[in-house]
Amino acid sequence: MIYFEVKLPDIPGSLIELIKPISQNGGNIHGILHHHDKKINNTIPVDIWFELSDDLIEISLENIKKELIKKNIQLIKISVDSKNKIVTFILTGHVFDSDITDTIKRLDSKNIKVLDLHAKFTEVDEISSVLMKVEFPEVMTKFELINEIEKICKEKNLFLIRS
Amino acid sequence: MCKSMEVKICLIGMGNVGTSFLQLLKEKRDYISVNFNFNCKLVAIFEHDGALINNGGIDLVNLLEDYTNLRKNQYWTSNAKAQDLISTLDIDICIETTPTNPNTGEPALSHILEALKNKINVISSNKAPFYLHYAKIQNLAKKMNCFVKFEATVASCVPALSIKESLIGNTIFQIRAILNGTNNYILSRMTAEGVSFSVALKEAQELGYAETDPTLDINGYDAAGKLVILSNELLGWSKSIEDVKIKGITKITPHALELAKLDGYVIKHLAIAEDNDLTVEPRLVKRDSPLNIQGTLNLIELQTKYAGSIILMGRGAGGFEAASAILNDLISIVKKRRGF
Repeated sequence: MIYFEVKLPDIPGSLIELIKPISQNGGNIHGILHHHDKKINNTIPVDIWFELSDDLIEISLENIKKELIKKNIQLIKISVDSKNKIVTFILTGHVFDSDITDTIKRLDSKNIKVLDLHAKFTEVDEISSVLMKVEFPEVMTKFELINEIEKICKEKNLFLIRS
Repeated sequence: MCKSMEVKICLIGMGNVGTSFLQLLKEKRDYISVNFNFNCKLVAIFEHDGALINNGGIDLVNLLEDYTNLRKNQYWTSNAKAQDLISTLDIDICIETTPTNPNTGEPALSHILEALKNKINVISSNKAPFYLHYAKIQNLAKKMNCFVKFEATVASCVPALSIKESLIGNTIFQIRAILNGTNNYILSRMTAEGVSFSVALKEAQELGYAETDPTLDINGYDAAGKLVILSNELLGWSKSIEDVKIKGITKITPHALELAKLDGYVIKHLAIAEDNDLTVEPRLVKRDSPLNIQGTLNLIELQTKYAGSIILMGRGAGGFEAASAILNDLISIVKKRRGF
């Protein structure tokens, strides 16, 4: 679930201007709360909850933000449910030889938590593959997460297959 | 109804695509005449070792009965080169289907530029000139007030490029595609049978799905070229193949595919255009995703502002597949050029 807190001008049609870019970018709106009692300088705080498809969450969220900014709608807070902050990827190469414990620690140092790990290998010193499911912090984008993983892959000569 | 007009064409390259095009043209001649009110007159065929030029029109029936008739024809001239003779021809459309160098785009690039310089509309099935010199070709076409069409370069007869005309009122903001049938076949076989990359590749070669030298396919270069054309056409970008981050499929192991399965994924070789970036690489795709197609099929998924996801899927290679895309381009040019 994605949550936006925005400030809307108290004029007819402004709620539509908020909803349009969300629905046009595939958002499924779950709820809207209009705080008329908290009106300041003719603007009203509005809370809106919606869902986006996992595959397109990054790009759709960016598009929605851009369009709201274009419409001069003030975005006060954005929060993305932890379900949307989980990414699965596979590393292939000398995953064990290149110290998998160090790989996990390096991710952890960036607040990227490994939630699940599965490995397939014939010999520890042979080419192996590891599937990891990680949770990344709210302040981090998926793009930044992938950059962090790619840095480790480049250094350890691992091949990344991401979702 | 207005008088049926005559459209004079030349064909450069009579290989699989070129001959398929001529057969299709012969087969659809009456249909085109009745429905689009024009007749095609083929006035020249260029091959690597000469040309058949007949301003009165080449007899397609006789030629297609026996291809050796090409060089036996009284109008055949050995060693005549398209590059030297295009400017002397009185033609409306030049169809370019020569075997082309993927790193230089030649000789197709020179043929295309020469035709445009002589105010001749161009249809090509060659990718390389477009992923290497897209802007140069388009600028010249614009300057000479000509059309240049190349539907066959991406996913063959799947209308990956011409869909643009049906989406003018919409906005496409992302493309995810499977643009190389060879790679999709290899990954499909590895997933289904648990075989290694080299076994799946060998099988693809035996079945004729992979080239004897499959390097351009398996290293992702072929898909990258198509992605450049797709993004330049559909997203209005101006990219070349150097702008694509490319990873091939050679490092995919049966172990990696098994792990993907564990979590409900498959591995697909995707071509992605988003946020002004072009990427070709293996990605984890949910098993129930429309991108999880099997065999040698191609698929293009467009994310649009008003229609959401639009998916095109079909066979992305083959002589008649490319020929039908060329014929479509031809009809499209004639419809737009109704004056000539």
